[in-house]
Amino acid sequence: MTDTQETVRSSSVGRLLPTVLAITVVLALFAWLVLPRLRPYQFNGTVLQSAMPVPDFTLTSADGPVSLSDFRGKLVVLYFGYTFCPDVCPTTLSDVNKALAQLGNEAEDVQMIMVSVDPARDDPAKLADYVQFFNPTYVGVTGTDDEVRSAATPFGIWYEAHAEEGASGYLVDHVATLNVIDREGHLKLVIGPGTGADAIAADLEYMLR
Amino acid sequence: MKRTTTHWALAGLAILMATSTMSCGGDAGLEISDAWGLPSPSVATTGAFFLTITNNGAEDDALIGATSPACGAAELHESSMDDQGAMTMQPVAGGRIAVPAGETAVLEQGGLHVMCINKLEEFTEGAQLDLTLQFEKAGDIPLTVEIRER
Repeated sequence: MTDTQETVRSSSVGRLLPTVLAITVVLALFAWLVLPRLRPYQFNGTVLQSAMPVPDFTLTSADGPVSLSDFRGKLVVLYFGYTFCPDVCPTTLSDVNKALAQLGNEAEDVQMIMVSVDPARDDPAKLADYVQFFNPTYVGVTGTDDEVRSAATPFGIWYEAHAEEGASGYLVDHVATLNVIDREGHLKLVIGPGTGADAIAADLEYMLR
Repeated sequence: MKRTTTHWALAGLAILMATSTMSCGGDAGLEISDAWGLPSPSVATTGAFFLTITNNGAEDDALIGATSPACGAAELHESSMDDQGAMTMQPVAGGRIAVPAGETAVLEQGGLHVMCINKLEEFTEGAQLDLTLQFEKAGDIPLTVEIRER
């Protein structure tokens, strides 16, 4: 290869460089901005195809009886937990609150309900104080053990108290999922514990469309 | 030259950050960092403390208990998901959380935590609560837990 050829080639590479850079930037922007919109939305929770609306239930809140069907037309986020739970329940209630904050005005179309799986320790007044600490729009309901179990079973939720040595007396194992019921009353989405506020917000926002 | 200065500044900053997290408490090679707890309602009788324990020493140790003036009782608990998808919580097996030499034990949400039973103080955002960790070998290590969102 002669010196002249070498000079010609390197100068043409030099001229092409801005064009190559520009194309790279355009492709990167396309991949970043456009491609995600072409793909169908990927839920963070597990999507269910429920042919039938979930069975209704009526439990007791501090303000009187509350039925699931009272909130038909809204998304309902249904959670089974208990106030004695120090870790998973406050984390979940706080994450949903952060998710609702991200939804802005649309959060008015979402109702969070916590059902107590510890009716012996959680009376309706205590439950109201508890859930409203996380968000004033939250509703807390409880009932007799039979009533709570009847409400929980159709969602595949079970719970079981177990006695512990030490100061806690007993603790309650419980399925700690967030169950999202669509505006027509179908169980549509189940979000596992530890999913995080951003992922919850994204799923709710998509379901509100 | 300018680049070298920036590097030194970054290195200085890194050292500062490292020492500031180390100053949380610790003795005998144990370093406790990032001690915090979730805000919880007054009506809730329980709370949870999360923290990280690094054993920089040459000797294995274990966290065996905790006390706090903010809690009627403080116990070492672990949350976990069982094989049927339910969250379960119970006192840690054997009553101890091992912190072998050179290793780190992380107490975090959805896992190990110090459970505060019968809260005696408010867990409001910004509160600073006293907690004393009891180690098998290092003995008592007092520290402050900050109540805050994650």
